[in-house]
Formats: sequence, structure tokens, C-alpha cells
Amino acid sequence: MSFSASGLVLASLVYLLLLFGVAWITEQGMLPKQWVRHPLVYTLSLGVYAGIWAVYAAIGMAAETGYGFLAYYLGISGAFLLAPVLLNPIMRIARAYQLTSLADLFAYRYRSQWAGTLVTLCSGAAILALLSMQIQAVAVSASILAPDTSPKAMSLLFCLIVLLFAILFGARRNQNSENHQGLVLAIAFDSLVKVGALLTLGAVILFQVFDGMEGLDLWLAMNKAASGTMTLAIDDGSWRALMLMSFAGALVLPHMYHMTFSENPSPKSLAKASWGLPLYLLLLALPVPVILWGGQALDVGTDPNFYALGVAQALDSPLLSLLMYIAGLSAASGLMIVSTLALAGMVLNHVVLPVKTPRDQADIYRWLQWVKRLLIAVIIFFALLFHETVGQELDLAILGAISLSGMLQLLPGALGVIYWPEGNRRGLIAGLVTGLVIWLATLVLPFSHTINPLAWFNVPLVPDYSNWHIFTFISITANVTVFGLFSILSASSAEETSAAQACSMGALSRPQRRELLASSSTEFIRQLADPLGYGVARREVERALAQLKLPNIEYRPYQLRRLRDQVEINLSGLLGPSVARDMVHRHLGFKPLARGNTGQDIRYVERALGDYQNRLTGLAGELDNLRRHYRQTLQNLPIPACSVGEDGEILMWNHAMEELTGITADDVVGARLMALPEHWHLLLEDFNRGEELHRYKHRLDLRGKPHWLNLHKAALSGPDHTEGGSIILVEDQTETRLLEDELMHSERLASVGRLAAGVAHEIGNPVTGISSLAQNLKLETDNPDILDTADQIQQQTRRISAILQSLMNFARTGNHAHANRYEPVSIHRCVEESVNLLSLSDKGMGIRYLNEVPEDLLVLGDEQRLVQVFVNLLANARDASPEGGTIRVSGNSDSYSAIIEVIDEGSGIPEDQLDHIFEPFYTTKAPNKGTGLGLSLVYSIVEEHYGNIQVESPANTETGTGTCVRLRLPAYRPEADDTSASQNERS
Amino acid sequence: MYIYRLVFLLVLAIYIFSPNILDWWTAPGNVWYSPYVIWAGLIAIGFWLEWRRDPNEF
Repeated sequence: MSFSASGLVLASLVYLLLLFGVAWITEQGMLPKQWVRHPLVYTLSLGVYAGIWAVYAAIGMAAETGYGFLAYYLGISGAFLLAPVLLNPIMRIARAYQLTSLADLFAYRYRSQWAGTLVTLCSGAAILALLSMQIQAVAVSASILAPDTSPKAMSLLFCLIVLLFAILFGARRNQNSENHQGLVLAIAFDSLVKVGALLTLGAVILFQVFDGMEGLDLWLAMNKAASGTMTLAIDDGSWRALMLMSFAGALVLPHMYHMTFSENPSPKSLAKASWGLPLYLLLLALPVPVILWGGQALDVGTDPNFYALGVAQALDSPLLSLLMYIAGLSAASGLMIVSTLALAGMVLNHVVLPVKTPRDQADIYRWLQWVKRLLIAVIIFFALLFHETVGQELDLAILGAISLSGMLQLLPGALGVIYWPEGNRRGLIAGLVTGLVIWLATLVLPFSHTINPLAWFNVPLVPDYSNWHIFTFISITANVTVFGLFSILSASSAEETSAAQACSMGALSRPQRRELLASSSTEFIRQLADPLGYGVARREVERALAQLKLPNIEYRPYQLRRLRDQVEINLSGLLGPSVARDMVHRHLGFKPLARGNTGQDIRYVERALGDYQNRLTGLAGELDNLRRHYRQTLQNLPIPACSVGEDGEILMWNHAMEELTGITADDVVGARLMALPEHWHLLLEDFNRGEELHRYKHRLDLRGKPHWLNLHKAALSGPDHTEGGSIILVEDQTETRLLEDELMHSERLASVGRLAAGVAHEIGNPVTGISSLAQNLKLETDNPDILDTADQIQQQTRRISAILQSLMNFARTGNHAHANRYEPVSIHRCVEESVNLLSLSDKGMGIRYLNEVPEDLLVLGDEQRLVQVFVNLLANARDASPEGGTIRVSGNSDSYSAIIEVIDEGSGIPEDQLDHIFEPFYTTKAPNKGTGLGLSLVYSIVEEHYGNIQVESPANTETGTGTCVRLRLPAYRPEADDTSASQNERS
Repeated sequence: MYIYRLVFLLVLAIYIFSPNILDWWTAPGNVWYSPYVIWAGLIAIGFWLEWRRDPNEF
């Protein structure tokens, strides 16, 4: 049974068109996003690893080495099962720094363009054999099914279609998404076809050829030789070599790196793939022995490599034959497309761009896209050339082995990225060159039948199909040894050490706090416009600003350093890490260091630690908790505090400081002191630079009000912290200052009072004398006029005495020690005395005071303090009253309380001020007319008397004027008290 | 890093003894698919470890 060449070509075209369709509808967004980004799709797309091996070469190898073929699957399965310690760290670095290929990773970690270029050349050389293997498999499978097809024409056609696909769906750069989703889905579809076809063929053989499991067991029992090949032919050396190469494949194969890391939709997908890919490979490997035995049972004439086709033909099933052919085609095309794409990216970043940076391009993105397309074409051309000259002569298995042992040379460097921070670029390059030279001399050249360098040295061992693994081990051992020795013996640059720390497990990069030449993001654009052109520079800087959620124009040094890093990361995704780093170093440079060392970027480190958050466990987690605790302590300190680096950069700005200054920490942390508003900048800058450690009562006008601040400063340096900088505490002393002023004022008043009391006492004596003389006068005359005059004199002297008594009572300062010794007090008398005192003042002479308090209204209290209450209330009422106004004081009592109302006819108190009038220092009077303490004193005295106070304004709702102050004090009833006292006595 | 060194040692040991392990898997008395059964067992363990893993863990 055979096909016609045109039929086969047509079938190939139809299938590849289907693949185009899948990619196209995905790119058009016709499929739901959750399908496209589903972990299953990602896992299936990783099936690209198997390539043609899965469909053809595995069966060929099983025929020779029995279960030895499993090594190709078990190695990479092991690598994926170890994903948390092997692949996750690489993915973290690759995502953080946009490293799209292994060459990018090496160039970033080892800080060397040469490392990147060498990786690219190594991958390029090694992958040619792998590509040749795919082309060969497609061409041979076509010629098996349709003997009249020309393998050359088939190879060419296959390469052209792959080229077209790679250019259309792989080389497109979507600014919004770095992933090529169409490509991923198409490759996943390929994998599905592959596994579906193999399982179908396995099932058909099992049930048609062997009649089920029992039949197979019976056949195996009867054909000991067939089952024996599956167990006995495992060669330890080649098994180990294949295992190692397959394990390394997860990291170093360009197509695997591309699919695993660059096209990864989320870390969760990789976690699922860690068991998903081994499961997929298990399904691929499962039918292999059955197909082999089927081929043996049916005595198929084809090479065991192509038993899948041979058995299908022997079963006389055109559909099955076509299916197997399509499976091979899909496996080959998937691997070809992804590896050429990945390799083209590497060549672009590490061979083309370092030589020619597109300086004068109007649209750099377009230029890059076209160069990448050209490179894809060149790579496929070379693969075809290699296939035609060397590849087609070689067995599929040995092609794979040569390719993988070349790629294996990259494993030491790749593991060094995460596990060996001491490894350096000299070691890497030396090791890689050594390994590659041995690989070329012992595997590539002898097998390609060009020259055999081993023969020059009369080496007894000649490389052949049975001992290739020895040379693989020699090359990798030499590579590792040279890498280790050179790394230990040579010194790493500071830059390389920092990159190594950034890459190694659990380490944080500790950037230095240095000042950039550019002082704003606009200057970034200007400086980057030189290499990139203005449009691209602006777009890249704006993109980075948006990613970091920064404002359109940024000037804070800390944020500018972050911006610089982000721009470098983005450019790295675009141009590769070496070119990006070079560009950023050259055009976004730092200012030269003034002296030795600058401080670490504390904020940067803190932010990075914050990102780790829950990932820190054990001791690190506890330390992080401590760090958070102390940070919170500083942040919540009720005293405004900030810390400043040696260069004047603000490192910390706590909540109290935010409250005092009205400036949020986000706005100033990472900025210079000079970025603060002028009054703060002048104060803090001056204090920070000055010699003094304390500054007291510095006056600063904030929001139109004077504030008095105490400043304290301490140096941050100490035995545990050698860096400079200082911490500044700012105490707000405004309230204390106002209280001090008030205290001085009260003190002055008190001394005036004491003086007045003294004066009153002195006046009292002569007044008593005058009163006695008037009394005497009355006894010595009967003249009614004189008697009348003497009466009047006595009246007036009594009045003088009353006034003096009141004055003396008021001046006597309240004795708080006796505050609880309350006596019954007549409110009427208190009001009377207050009116007397107020009448001494020359203010408000036209005001009429009406004391309507019943004389029997008594409360239990301190008379002097209650007089003070009424003096304050009446003085306020007097100040508010118009000329000729009346102030009425009335009193009544309910069952328990005496209620006293002071009502004036003044302008009233606006509603919004009513809530504040009892607050200390709150006054509505003109400056120097009131202290704002009167009503708060009233409030506290009333509270001391277990009473309360209410203010109603307006008192007269008709005219809308007047204020009524209502006091409620516990009433005193003599008879009730006697009763209760006697009851107490009885009890 | 301690745990990673342990993992490294374990991987190395498994790698060195892998041919013997496979010999054991494919011992003549076993059914032909026994390597696959053991492989599937390993995948199941991998699945279980991934399933109960704290997403914030390294």
C-alpha cells in the first residue's frame, strides 16, 4: 500500500493549513482567553520537547537498547519533577529581567557579551543536528509512504512551510503581550496529534495484532528474544549519558527554554506542568514497546525507526498510515518552528545587535522584526544545508545524541546561575570552550566523516555508535573541571558578583544608592533618544513609568533608580540584556562617586523584602517579622520623625511626620530634602547640615498659624551600621507654648489680684474708721440733717465694705486642696457679688443686670469658684450685649437640681461655633480681647460641682438674638439633708 | 541552601544508580508495563506534592 507523492504533499499541506488556522484564530482572539492560557495548553506545548523522537526514533532505539529509550523521557521528567528547585528559580529570574533565552540568561548572570555569544554559537551548532533529524524523518517517512516522492523536494517544501509559519506567528512582537499565543496553541495542538496518533496505533496493534493483553503476554512468552531485548540491552554508559542530556534539555534546549520560560503564562502553569509533562511523556512512551513488538510480530520490513509507518502499512490501513505520517510531520514541524524561533532571537540579541545597533532607525521595533525574520530564514537554510551534506547520512539516534551532547555543555553554566554564585565569566567561557572543542573533535567531526582529529594522536578509541557516550562524558567532565578551576582561581568583578547574587536562590540584590546624571524622567527620554531615537525612547520610558505606576514626570532619585532598572529590563526584552545594559550604562549613567562608598539603597532592599513577604520561612521569616515590628514602631511613633541619608535623601518619613507636615511618605521618601516645600526644606536642610544636635522653639508658620517646633538630631552611624545619615525628630511644641503664655498671663493677673486684695484690706481699715466716726456722729447730735448725712455715710461705707469683701473673696485663689469641702451656697449672693465685681470695670456701664434668682436657691459648693463661674458668664454676656442691653439671671429648681439661666440680648453664637466654645483657647473675640480660657474654666468648675452646662443660641427665636447659658447644679435642701443625715445616723 | 544541597545529593544518587533502578523495574519476572506503573507512581507523588504546596513557597 502506498500513496501518491501529490496526495501526500496535499495531506501535509492540509494539516499544516489546519495548524495555521489554529494559530490564526487564537491570534484573532476568537478562543476564550482562559482556554488559551490554561495550564493544560502550556503543558501540551512543552511536548515540543519530544519532536520526531517520540514518533520514530524512540522505537528504533527500543529495538536496539530495550527500555534504554526511556532515558530520553525520564531525564526531563526528573527535571520537571524538580521544578521547584530547578525551573522555578530560573523562571523567576527570566521573568524579572525579561531574559528570553538561555543566552540572555548567561549574558545577564555572567555580565559578559561573550558568554551570550558563545551560548548562541553553541546552541546554533548543536541544534543544526536536531533540525536535520526532523527534516530527515519527514523526508524518509514521505518516501516510505510514497516511494515516488523526492526526499530533497520534500525536505525543501517542509522547510519552506516551517519558515512561513515561524515568520507569520513567531516573529510577531505584540507590545501588550510578550507571549505568542497562536504559536503556543498550535504547538499544543501538535502535541495532542502526536500522542493521539501513537496511542491509537498502540491500541490498534494491541487488539488487532495481539488480540488484547493476554495475546500480547502469550506472544511475549513465545518470543523470548523479543521481550528479552527490552530488558537486557540497556547499556549503563549510554543510558546515563542520555539521562543526563535529557535532564539538561529542560534548561538548555532553545525550544524548551522558549516554551517553558518565555511563553509561560503564570508560575501556576509551571507548577502544573511539573507533573503534567512527565505524564504526557509517559503517554508518549507507553505504546513504544507495543509498536516495536507489533513490527516484529508482523515482520515489517522497514527500518525499526519507522516501524510506526511500517506497521500501519502492514495492517493495510491507509488512514492509520496517514495518521502516523501526520503525527511525525506535526512533531517535526513543532520542534523546527520553536527552535528556529528561539535561536533567531538568540542570534539577534547576541550576534547581530552587539555588532550593529539600530541607531538611525525610525521604528526600531519594525527593524528588529524584519531582522528576526531574516535570521529565521538563514537558520532554516543552514539546517537544510547541514541535512543535505551531513545529516542525511546519519542515523536518527546519533543525530539526536550529537545535538544533545553539544547542548549539554551549557548545563554547568546554567546550574551555576542559580546554585554557584562563585562561578564567573572567565570560568564559564574557558569551560564552555574546552567542552565544545572536545565535542567537535570527538563527536561532530568524526561522525560527519570530514576529519577525525583523534586519529592524529593515535587514540585507540574511535568514536562509533556504541561508544559516543564516553566522549560525551569526557567533554562535560573537562567543561565542569575547567569552569570550576578558573572560577576559583580568578576574581569576579563587583558587577558580576551583584548579578550572581540577584540570580542565586533566596538572595536579594543590594543596589547602592547612587545619584543619576539625569534628574527627571524627561531627561531619561532625552538621553535615551540618542541611541534609540526620540519616539522609541519616549515610548519605552513611558511604558516603564506606567509599569511602576509612577507619575508622568518623575524626579525622585529613588524612583529614578527604579525607573532606570525597569527601562533596562524592558530594553533587555527587546534587544537582549547585553545591549540593553550597555545602552543604559552609557546613556543613563550615575554621577561619579564623591568618595569611597555610598549607602545601600535601603528602600530598594525593603521593597524587595516586602515582595518576598510570605515566602520567607523559618529564621528568615522571624527576622522579617522583627523587621516589620521595628518598622511599625517607627512608623507609628507619636513623635514626627524622619531619617535622612548622607546625601540628603529622605529614607523614612513616619505617620506623625505626615500629619504634621501634610506631606505623604510616598511623595517624599526617596526624594531629596530640597524637594520638600520651601519652609520645611529650609528648616530641615539647615538643621541636618548644622552642627547643633538640638534646636528649641523654632517658629514656623504652617497653614497660616504659628507653630513652635523642637528639633533633635542623632547620627545613624554606629558599630553595626557604618553608613552615614541622621535621624531627625520634630516635636510640635505649639500647645505647650500657648499654655506657657497663658500661665504667664494668669500669673500676672493673680499678682494684680493679690495686690488688689492687699489694697482692699488697707482701704478696709480707714473705711471702718469712717463708719465708726459716722456712728459716733449720730450719737453726738440730734440734728436730723446731720443724722441723715451720717446714715448716708454709713450706707456708703457698708457698700464700700461689701465691694472690698467681694474683691478680696475673688482674689483669694481657689484652694484645690479643699475642693471637696463644699458648703451650702446661695446662688443669689454669688450672682450679686459677680455683678458687684463686674461693675468695678469701666466696660459695659450701660448694661443692666437683673438678678432674679430666688434667695433660697442653694447649692452645695465652693462659693468663690461659683462666683468665678458667674463672673465669666456675665462678662461674656456683657461683651456680647449691645449698649443699654439687659442681662437676666434667673433660677429655679426641679426635684434634684438648681437650674440657673444667664440670658443676654447679644448677637448670639453661630451654630458651627457652639461645639467648640468650651475648648481651651477657643475664642471668637478679637485678638488680645479674650484668652479663650473663660468658658473652659466655667466648664471645669461646673463639672467639679457635678453639674452640667448647656448653651442655647439664639435664646430668642423670634428675633434670632441672644444666648442662654443654662447651668444645672445639684440643689441643696437643708431639711432633706437633715432627714437623710438622721436616717444615716440611725442606720 | 541546605535543603538544595540535600536535593542535589539525592538527585546525584538517583542518577548514579538509575541503571540499576531500571534493571529492577524491568526484571524478567515483572510484566512488560511495570516501568510505566512505577513511573506513574512517581508522577502521582509529584502531583500530590504540587497540590499541597503553599503557593508562596519557593
